[in-house]
Amino acid sequence: MTLALTSLRLITPQGILPPKNYLIKDGIFTASTSHEEVVDESIDCSKLYASVGWIDLRCMSGEPGEEYKESLDTLGRVLKVSGFAKAVVLPNNHPVTQTKNEVEFLKSKSKHWLTELVLHATVTKDAKGEDFTDILDLHAQGVKIFGDGIKPLSNPDRMMKTLQYLQKFDGILFDHSYDPLISMFGQMHEGAISTQLGFKGIPNLAEDISVQRNLEILRYTGGRLHFQTVNTAKSVGLIRQAKKEGLNVTADVSIYQLIFSDADLMGFDSNYKIVPPLRGKEDRDALIEGLKDGTIDALVSNHQPQDLDAKQVEFDYASPGMIGLQTFLPALVSLSAELPWELLIEKITTGPAQVLGLPIQSDTLTIFDPEESWEYNSQSNESLSFNHPWWNTTLKGKVKYMLGKGMFEQFS
Amino acid sequence: MSQLSTRHLLGIKNITAADIELIFQTADNFKEVLNRPIKKVPSLRDITIANIFFENSTRTRLSFELAEKRLSADVINFSSSNSSVKKGETLIDTVNNILSMKVDMVVMRHASVGAPHFLSKHIQANIVNAGDGTHEHPTQALLDAFSIREKLGDVAGKKIAIIGDILHSRVALSNIFCLQKLGAEVMVCGPITLIPKHIESLGVKVEQDVMKALRWCDVANVLRIQLERQQIKYFPSLREYSLYFGINKRMLESLDKEIVVMHPGPINRGVELSSDAADSGQSIILQQVENGVAIRMAVLYLLAGGK
Repeated sequence: MTLALTSLRLITPQGILPPKNYLIKDGIFTASTSHEEVVDESIDCSKLYASVGWIDLRCMSGEPGEEYKESLDTLGRVLKVSGFAKAVVLPNNHPVTQTKNEVEFLKSKSKHWLTELVLHATVTKDAKGEDFTDILDLHAQGVKIFGDGIKPLSNPDRMMKTLQYLQKFDGILFDHSYDPLISMFGQMHEGAISTQLGFKGIPNLAEDISVQRNLEILRYTGGRLHFQTVNTAKSVGLIRQAKKEGLNVTADVSIYQLIFSDADLMGFDSNYKIVPPLRGKEDRDALIEGLKDGTIDALVSNHQPQDLDAKQVEFDYASPGMIGLQTFLPALVSLSAELPWELLIEKITTGPAQVLGLPIQSDTLTIFDPEESWEYNSQSNESLSFNHPWWNTTLKGKVKYMLGKGMFEQFS
Repeated sequence: MSQLSTRHLLGIKNITAADIELIFQTADNFKEVLNRPIKKVPSLRDITIANIFFENSTRTRLSFELAEKRLSADVINFSSSNSSVKKGETLIDTVNNILSMKVDMVVMRHASVGAPHFLSKHIQANIVNAGDGTHEHPTQALLDAFSIREKLGDVAGKKIAIIGDILHSRVALSNIFCLQKLGAEVMVCGPITLIPKHIESLGVKVEQDVMKALRWCDVANVLRIQLERQQIKYFPSLREYSLYFGINKRMLESLDKEIVVMHPGPINRGVELSSDAADSGQSIILQQVENGVAIRMAVLYLLAGGK
């Protein structure tokens, strides 16, 4: 089957190409070289933009264990309609992804997805930060990314030995670095807002000292470390310096950290309760700067579904987390007011591909309309959860078509 | 103006100086009523108020209940030292069950910051926050400021030192908001581990030396050490705390002026305040308790529409 995409503007990290005609021939995306090509269908893309398929380095499923929050089937659908051709799914389920069984389960459940699942297993049993999982055995099943997911590897000895052990197969340690003791009992970013609200805060220090410590360990061990959901000005500076020194380190940031801030918690809306917490303007500015100068390699959805019962309770009992997939493009559209599209696309294509050590796949494509408005509500929601402050609002930016694993799909 | 700008009293932060002044004027009238032989008025007849306390309380609950009864309201009480969540029922369900019995107003104390704000989005009844975790305790701040006004004539221009466990205190935060709205200067004093790091963003002074705080202030509002809310250790021992942060009569007498001593109670005697200081002529602790009833009557009356 041959599809013609006419007048499509392709965005690459190098720039936005002028409108051109392209073909998708038997699931492969190519530039159209001839006007006489016989096509089965032609799609007018004059209002649309496209890039190679997007990559998300951090999203979460409810399944196994909390299927009512997000099943692997719904996660597959949400990823697809949100434009992601490849996704790293966090291992913190019940049970956690830590043996061949869970890996095989994930592989089999995601087989029919348009999105390619990138395997991520915990590095310690039950993500408790103590005994190692069978790392080499898991690698033999195709796992290259290890880390305790939503939990930091806070024990320095575990961090050191993991970075050493993973070097046997160029494995990557994904870590959301923060000090759990300094963050203990904290409900939000520590600052003027938490003081007014009477909340115990999570100081920037919790992340700063942990990133600093982990960089020192990396300097000692060598290996490959990826910081997830970096969130403070100081840690951006530390990673920038480490990259200059040539340390093998990369970083990502949750897109919603750039959209919301701690001031949004003034109304006690638990949808804003997330880990790491929403911080203030100074940190946000540093994160934006980090994206611009390449300190931060990727934007992630950090999609963490929570059901209504987990959120519609007193703030300190509410489970942390925000979903972020279907709102991802609208968030990109919002950020495009201050960051060029080329840079935004880099942070969800070549940037995360480099983090994963993978070549960019030209057999994936995300086609989107940055201008289209749509209602984010129970009719349009593909997730089982709706824990996002934008719920029941009008959003701008919609993914229209996806190409992945040889499948081409259109979304209304 | 005869009405509040809000239909709930969730915190002092959300109300205006004019609201506070209206509450004080109304409380003046009710205080006069409370000193009559017949202390009861029919203002809230046919109004039903539920006192829902998810945290232990003696004086605040009694004070609210008495205020409600003096206003002729019908009163029901619900107390549970555990949160509803821990019992398997959500807060909304618990309160809605009570409201199904046709309750007009809810007075709620809860250990969670923002619990009354959360509830206000889900129920129709008027809500009075009787303390939410380490956030606000608005009626305490109102009665404190009312007592200062009564003792010193005015709150504006006065220097108030809040001394003790600021980090775990909802009284401190509500007092800061209230006193500043009324034009007072506020200082907080205590071990630095018990003072929120960013407290100066609220426009208050910070002092670690109790004697310096006492020399600076016109009023010392001494707070309880909230051992029950301290999840980890913040200072070495109560003995050391009382030696370096406690206030006694000798310290008060060493000052070249007579300051007013307040405490929201219950006092840890011999820890933050010695008995000779608590019971001295400079203390207005019992007047605070008395004023509490008048202030709560005023708040309930005004929220019910002031009719």
